[in-house]
Amino acid sequence: MTKYLLRRLLHGLFSIIVVVSIVMILIYSLMDRTLIFAQDTNYTKYANNDKQVYRYERWEDYGYLDYVTYTDYINELAKNGEFADDAARQKVLNFAKKAENDSEEVAVYVKKFTDYYKEKGYEVIRLDAKMLTEAKYATGGKQRLFVVRDIPLTTRLWKFFTGLFWVDNIHNAEGIADEDRGLKFTFNDPIREGKFSPTIMGNGTTYKYLLYTDDRFPYIHQNLFTIKLGLSYTVNQNVDVWKTMTQTQGALVKSEVIYPTGYVVSESAEDLHTARYSYGSRDLLPLYQLKFDDDYTVLDFHLSGMSRMGYSFVIGILSTILAYLLGLPLGIIMARNKDGITDKIGTVYVIFIIAVPSLAYIFMFKAIGDKLFHLPTTFDTEKTNLAMYILPIVSLALPSVAGLMKWLRRYMIDQMNSDYVKFARSGGLSEGEIFTKHIFKNAAIPIVHGIPGSILFSLVGALVTERVYVVPGVGNTLTKAINYYDNGVIVGITLFYSVLSVISIILGDVLMSMVDPRISFSSKGRA
Amino acid sequence: MDNELFDISSLGLSENELFAKYDNSNSDSEKITAPRYSYWKSVFRVFFKNKVNIVILALLALIIIFAYIYPLIIGYDPEVDPFKNLLVEGSKHLKPGPAIQKFGFSIHYILGTGNSGQSIFDEIWYGSSISISLALICAAINMTIGVIVGAIWGFSKKIDLIMTEVYNIVGNVPYILLISVLVLILSASFWTMVFALTVTGWLGIAYFIRTQVIIIRDREYNLASRCLGTPIFRLTIKNILPFMTSVIVTLLATEIPSYISNEVFLSYIGMGLTDRSLGRLIYENQVAMSTVGWEFEFWSPVVIASFITVVLYVVGQNLGDASDPRTHM
Repeated sequence: MTKYLLRRLLHGLFSIIVVVSIVMILIYSLMDRTLIFAQDTNYTKYANNDKQVYRYERWEDYGYLDYVTYTDYINELAKNGEFADDAARQKVLNFAKKAENDSEEVAVYVKKFTDYYKEKGYEVIRLDAKMLTEAKYATGGKQRLFVVRDIPLTTRLWKFFTGLFWVDNIHNAEGIADEDRGLKFTFNDPIREGKFSPTIMGNGTTYKYLLYTDDRFPYIHQNLFTIKLGLSYTVNQNVDVWKTMTQTQGALVKSEVIYPTGYVVSESAEDLHTARYSYGSRDLLPLYQLKFDDDYTVLDFHLSGMSRMGYSFVIGILSTILAYLLGLPLGIIMARNKDGITDKIGTVYVIFIIAVPSLAYIFMFKAIGDKLFHLPTTFDTEKTNLAMYILPIVSLALPSVAGLMKWLRRYMIDQMNSDYVKFARSGGLSEGEIFTKHIFKNAAIPIVHGIPGSILFSLVGALVTERVYVVPGVGNTLTKAINYYDNGVIVGITLFYSVLSVISIILGDVLMSMVDPRISFSSKGRA
Repeated sequence: MDNELFDISSLGLSENELFAKYDNSNSDSEKITAPRYSYWKSVFRVFFKNKVNIVILALLALIIIFAYIYPLIIGYDPEVDPFKNLLVEGSKHLKPGPAIQKFGFSIHYILGTGNSGQSIFDEIWYGSSISISLALICAAINMTIGVIVGAIWGFSKKIDLIMTEVYNIVGNVPYILLISVLVLILSASFWTMVFALTVTGWLGIAYFIRTQVIIIRDREYNLASRCLGTPIFRLTIKNILPFMTSVIVTLLATEIPSYISNEVFLSYIGMGLTDRSLGRLIYENQVAMSTVGWEFEFWSPVVIASFITVVLYVVGQNLGDASDPRTHM
């Protein structure tokens, strides 16, 4: 059994890699690159050479290509002690408006730069200055020199998968003396002074608090280990997709905060436990010097709402429970009264759900909930009104109820004519007993297979429902990412989707074999 | 023994009373008296026995007339007609009542007017023709490829291994994602949409057919056929496909409405057609849903889209039921 599961997992892993590659090829190689500027308001502000450079810079951000400017190259050389003084560096940096006008020194370095990167497979682009008059540049017309190279798929895949899991370590932060680096364990967290709360703090790590306890659910928190699915650019600027999905949203929760220096702010939402290192930040702002005694100054806020995944999951899981609570009894009733009036009504409902576009019935549910029951139709993370959960949950549950009814009815009717049912009947069991104890148990086996899937997939939320009710969930994030061409988010969510689907199918099989002893993974018959 | 033939004429019996020599090669002996059986005749006999089906078919005819013939009759031009009343004052966002008052009674204004004073009724039926065409074309392509590939997939064990792997992998790519990326890459024209909906759409159908083929391929009558040396191709065409007609028709019944639903859904999330299809109308009229007095503009395309899909689904399902020979008794 373990061997079989392991093989299935490996198999799943393989298909996940293939799926991610397919999506990467689709996005990075087949899609028109200029599309990403469609929603970009800054793009139109640039002209001439600046526009070109802006394009390449964005493309680098979005992960299309590597982009190195001549200035970067010279500065890198300067770091390695190439130039005697800064003046020499400045002199070399000043390349002319046209290639043929370069001074001798510059020409040497430009050639060095070109040769170095050409050998690595880069394309050298030199944009001559665009002039209005002899001495005056046109808008954005300054001369530019840089090299670009498309990132090959294999490199991109490698980077993506190797960067998936991130573990903090004490060598991450720069500018800390080696003897100061290390981990410290304390029973009394300095932030929660006087209270017993075991904490592991790091110095030299990216996060200051690696493991800490507090009075917020789930009480034990960690910053040591993170999943990274790639950076987002438009949906949630420069934040990792995983963080985008898991960070809390909503209104600020303010309370009294005592900063490490003892400085007290009576109303602040900053969460000291999320302190991240930023080299030299403390010297930048006087306020930081007042608040902090080290460079761990980057903080997140305490927010009242749940994360995207949290909202999706709560709505998804409740709707799944509701669906099973309604769907199973209704399916049984339909099967028991086959061709009766309840069966007919149920069938009409099933046809309605299958045939009518999902968008149409979700809007119908929304209108009915609004007009008849006066339920809130839009989600608001600032409020804690529980009624706003009702419509999304119901709209998600009702279609799955139809699916459950349809299949359970089918499976039960198939079982009704089998020999063991006839035998049970001849043995004198009541119809009720036959249905609940014999038929249902057998008919439920294929239904059981879908349970892990419906639970896990509530994590990614529902595309239409979340959009219709403005739920800030994961499903909404995907459609938004597609609309804004946010490649990082699309790839990240695809990976998340495929991991969930692989796991849910395997779990479904395991659960099925637990419910039905006749199904065994070691038998040769199963593929 | 007397070997000579007995002369029957000597008995003095009439011609009719005597046995006559019968011609052996007479083809009459091959005739079977049972009435001729035609499968499709039988299907339609069963189909029309149910009176509900006649009503549903009439509705389907109505839909086809309105979607395909009505725009031709009125000469609907998608470039001009939506903006005909753009400059007419007080013609925008009218409910049916006021619209008829304003323009006089005509079929164009029985559903009121839209945001540029256009007739919603005309607009919806023109949009329906796009959506229905899309659904029919996609269904035709997907079903053809799906059934052929599925049949081969079910028969060959080698192909089964490869295709199952492909199916598992492609099944993991979120459907919506694939379509949206394709629409992004290729711009949102009608044929792009067809391509996006068919590029992997056939795979699910093929998998379904594969399972059905595997179920019946090892039945006794097929084993017997194979023992007698029937080539696989003929076996598939003659033995297996006829058996699956009802399954295929039933599948078609769920497929066609699902393409319309998909089109509506994709339009709603902003990935849809640029043509003014049903989905596009619903997408554009989203604002109208929450604006008091304009709700009609939103609900009309939604209700008509639902109506079309339900009719198509029910016709298909009932035809599927009728095409199952077991119901022909």
